Amino acid sequence: MASASSSSSSVTPYNYSYIFKYIIIGDMGVGKSCLLHQFTEKKFMADCPHTIGVEFGTRIIEVSGQKIKLQIWDTAGQERFRAVTRSYYRGAAGALMVYDVTRRSTYNHLSSWLTDARNLTNPNTVIFLIGNKCDLEAQRDVTYEEAKQFAEENGLAFLETSAKTGEKVEDAFAQAAKHIFQSIQDGSLDLNAAESGVQHKPSGGSKSHSLTHDSAPKESCNC
Amino acid sequence: MDYLLEETVPMADLKKFESKYNDEIQTQGRASSTAQFEYAWCLVRSKYSADIRKGILLLEDLFKNRDESAKQDYLYYLAIGNARIKEYQTSLKYIRALLQIQPGNRQATDLEGVVKKKMERDGLVGMAVVGGATLAFGALVGVGIALAKSK
Repeated sequence: MASASSSSSSVTPYNYSYIFKYIIIGDMGVGKSCLLHQFTEKKFMADCPHTIGVEFGTRIIEVSGQKIKLQIWDTAGQERFRAVTRSYYRGAAGALMVYDVTRRSTYNHLSSWLTDARNLTNPNTVIFLIGNKCDLEAQRDVTYEEAKQFAEENGLAFLETSAKTGEKVEDAFAQAAKHIFQSIQDGSLDLNAAESGVQHKPSGGSKSHSLTHDSAPKESCNC
Repeated sequence: MDYLLEETVPMADLKKFESKYNDEIQTQGRASSTAQFEYAWCLVRSKYSADIRKGILLLEDLFKNRDESAKQDYLYYLAIGNARIKEYQTSLKYIRALLQIQPGNRQATDLEGVVKKKMERDGLVGMAVVGGATLAFGALVGVGIALAKSK
């Protein structure tokens, strides 16, 4: 049926209706680049070196029937990069703020990351809290409940993920996109504002129905 | 990936890190490696090639004279800066040097792929220009022959 087109790898220009800019922030070693890699390549990178400066990745997903291209800036967590990486926050529609559930210090630093995110993005930017490495249950140092409470107190969406197993990685990126799309629809996000982090591509969308490449779940192959 | 070579620094940020760098030189005689790196990182992301060249000089100085632990950062942005001013061979040289320090570094191999693709594209453009010129020359010769014959 429709899944026949899911193997298509050719990406025609503008086979999406929106571009959303994301940033990924958080302490070093929490798995920001691994989350990006798992999301864009569906693979886990073991022993990757610290990110130099910033990394960039894209993927097209489907949210509420719309094809959306995510442009993701993954910032280095090391302190010596922090001052300059702040310039990448500007104009982000979504900010994924990541900590490591096995290292309490990375959780304790969240308020500082949140302050940066609030100060440097616009009021409509969706800030998504992510507790990564949830596969390492035995080493857990931050409970789900307390992080959930922190998220609620600060008006953040929250998920625990594992970049290693891939658990909830897809959901985190997609749910953030859904929140952004909702604020476009209810009119609270002004697409004409310079720093909304969203670009509309009206020429695409309607005629791109045959391409479902990126958003097709891998498990659906029943050959 | 091409975005890494295309995005530009906000002017306000460039100015901010420029004054931080200059202030340190004025008050301490020389800038800290942090201030110099931050300023250079902004410069190599400028839309002006003069800025990029200045950033490259600052990074070269850091690489030669400053802390060993950050050499991979300097090499990576030397590769980015050179690629942005189309000095692709120099860019590849820095990528290879980075890969010697950190074999298999994915940012380096990704960048290598982008730079090679750019070289290919620019090479094709060059050939198209040469091809076009050859055609034009051929046409002129043809016209000349036709004119000579008509006399």
